[in-house]
Amino acid sequence: MAGESGGECNRTNAFVVSARKRTMQKVAKKAGESMLFAVASFVAVIVLFIFYFVARDAFPFFQIRGFTEFFTSSNWYPADDPGEFGALAIIYGSLMVTLGSALIAVPMGVAAAICLSDILPFSIRQYAKPVIEMLAAIPSVAFGFFALVVLAPLLQNNGGPMLMWAWWILVSPFVLLAVIVLSDLLTAKIIEPKRRQQMHIFLLILFSFLSIFLLFKVGTVLYGIQILTGTNALNVSIILSFMALPTIVSVSEDALQAVGRDIREGSYALGATRAETILKTVLPAGSSGILAAVILGIMRALGETMVVWMASGNSSQIPEPWFNYLQSIRTLTATIAGDMGEADQVTGSARFHVLFAMGLLLLIISFVSNLISERIVVRQRKILSGQ
Amino acid sequence: MNIGTRKILDRSFTAVGIGSIIVMAVALMIVVVPIITNGIGAVFFTGTVEHRKMLFSEFKRGDSEKLSSEVASSDRYRAKVYGMLTDFEAELETMAPEKKVEYKAKYAEVRAALQALFGPLPGDPEPMLTRFKYGQTRWEKAEEKLHDLLYETKWDNSNPDVMAKEYFVSRAIGFQGTSLVKLFPYVKDNMEKLLLPEFTFYWGFITDSSVDSHFFGGIWPEIQGTFFLAVGAMLFAFPLGVVAAVYFTEYARPGFLNSMLRSANSTLAGVPSIVFGMFGLAFFINTLKVSESKSVIAGALTLAIMILPTIIRAAEEAILAVPKTYREASLSLGSSKWNTIATVILPAALPGIITGGIISLGRAAGETAPIIFTAAVSVGSAIGLADVLTSPTPALSWNIYNLASEHEAAAQIRHVQYGMVLALVSIVLMLNLSAIVLRARISKKLKG
Repeated sequence: MAGESGGECNRTNAFVVSARKRTMQKVAKKAGESMLFAVASFVAVIVLFIFYFVARDAFPFFQIRGFTEFFTSSNWYPADDPGEFGALAIIYGSLMVTLGSALIAVPMGVAAAICLSDILPFSIRQYAKPVIEMLAAIPSVAFGFFALVVLAPLLQNNGGPMLMWAWWILVSPFVLLAVIVLSDLLTAKIIEPKRRQQMHIFLLILFSFLSIFLLFKVGTVLYGIQILTGTNALNVSIILSFMALPTIVSVSEDALQAVGRDIREGSYALGATRAETILKTVLPAGSSGILAAVILGIMRALGETMVVWMASGNSSQIPEPWFNYLQSIRTLTATIAGDMGEADQVTGSARFHVLFAMGLLLLIISFVSNLISERIVVRQRKILSGQ
Repeated sequence: MNIGTRKILDRSFTAVGIGSIIVMAVALMIVVVPIITNGIGAVFFTGTVEHRKMLFSEFKRGDSEKLSSEVASSDRYRAKVYGMLTDFEAELETMAPEKKVEYKAKYAEVRAALQALFGPLPGDPEPMLTRFKYGQTRWEKAEEKLHDLLYETKWDNSNPDVMAKEYFVSRAIGFQGTSLVKLFPYVKDNMEKLLLPEFTFYWGFITDSSVDSHFFGGIWPEIQGTFFLAVGAMLFAFPLGVVAAVYFTEYARPGFLNSMLRSANSTLAGVPSIVFGMFGLAFFINTLKVSESKSVIAGALTLAIMILPTIIRAAEEAILAVPKTYREASLSLGSSKWNTIATVILPAALPGIITGGIISLGRAAGETAPIIFTAAVSVGSAIGLADVLTSPTPALSWNIYNLASEHEAAAQIRHVQYGMVLALVSIVLMLNLSAIVLRARISKKLKG
């Protein structure tokens, strides 16, 4: 490069540098720097290009069909003549699996991040991190294949029992905890120690029976559920949550690490247990960073293509009732991937451009949420360093 | 709350955290273990004589003398089966018309099941598709087909409230009183002699091209396509990414322009992968016309812009991790800034940069969505290096989708799909593992 040859000149005659040479060097340095700048701004150019080219092919659709049908109708018959392009059910499907995966991934991811940053000793953390990275590295199509070939038949054949066991295993520890805490809280006001103890034991037994009854009742209801198709929103949500987890864990762990030791030690000094310290001081201080992590993780689930294409059933319908995760759905990404092959033949038709309209929608959502999460991270860093 | 409850809460809080990490590890296991165990089955399995026949006539591999003796011995047993068929056909002609119609339909099913087991029966026309030229090449599939021969599958719809239940009826009962009834126990008892199962190590699964859309043969075209696409993407993205990282770390001054560039970088990292595919179609193919239609080069360019932000970030981190003393020592010796970067900082940061590159390579190899519209085709042979500018290629990631979801006989070639998934996952995980090991060594070295 030009700058390098200037440097070599500099070395050979270190002190005697003529004015002409000096300007040459300056020009070379400027030229080199601007070339570097050009390469670095290449990324920005690409982003602009992506927006321009996706929008360029999306606008004809809105010119032909307008906005109302796309956002309010759920009749998706693009191959008919004349076609119908109501994407409401598809947008709803995207939101549904995103929400479903967030419901699984966010509590688990944040709990794992807390565990990694505050609870586990360093030696174990060293082994846990690669596991998370491996989970992030598995290609989406492998997850999709797993969802389609292994998980879907399992859900279809043993759906009810699986739901029941999941309910028992996941919920019963929390119910047990709730029983203990509730009976403690209710008896806290009683001053006389002997009566308090009696009351405490009585409430414990009462609540235990109630909760076992509740667990059992819901369990039997779940056991009776028949899942008609294994390629449904639940299947996709589970797999997508695995894919969103690594992002959520690593970004929120960074956020928790950024919270200083002094805050933690202050809380410990006031007599708080570790759980109280984390829940009442560390989490609020790192909350904005965790929010950013959640947004990034959710975006991964929303933008994921292969898993939903393979395992969501691809039927453009709003489930009946609206929260029924056991029915097939269709998402924006899967529609783009699935329909482009046929629509590509008829470039210029609404059928082709509607897919770009969906792409533009995805692009705008991801752009906005990225900006928000970035803002949040920057603000948190400022606040934490300011204190 | 009393102190006991607080302690319990504290403990259970810890348990929830550890539990979720365990769940993640278990999830990784649940996904990876069936892929590995079933994927290995694509290479190591119990092959029948049909598999060796197929290998010999499609790939010219195997010992022809041994094969012909094997074929002769299995044909001796098969001749009896075929003899029973001709006997029954003769018997069929002598039957009353309504009985004849009934048995004819059943007999056609038996013939179809036998064709699936042993390949074309004597007297059959030469099949057009290679998949019908041979019987079952894998022993476990042959056992399934044997079950199809012995039992008829029926569905119980008697209770409309629950899903229809599958049940089996023995075919032998249907042929009670005819000469064909002997066939079922004969085939069942002599399966091993009819098909001669043998443990097979089919290394050709990696290096062969596919025969008749993956019914037989291997996955070499896909592996090669994945290699071309991923390496092509790296060729474009790696130099650009490293140069951009040098600019960001060494030259950029904080300000509006710089923060805009950084925002652009994180925006690019967050773009859904399918949108990259649409962009590749609209820009590289429809606008720039780098190729007539799908091609490796268009796919590689699309993947390159997808992995660019990752490479930039990794390279930036690697450059920032180089100790300040290196830079100061170089500058104090009188070398220019550019010289310092090229001869001191970049070599010191190189392992870290390469780590980022390896991870991005794995990501490019595993991605499917960006190459659907730009580079991937479902069937095709391996392409030469000269064709990358013009022709599309099969690729592991795309063909896994295609075989699992769109292939006309997806359930019959599960072993190929598992083999492909295992190949892809092991390529990606190997790359990642080596990156992890490399990074651990760097951090040790930097610590001293």
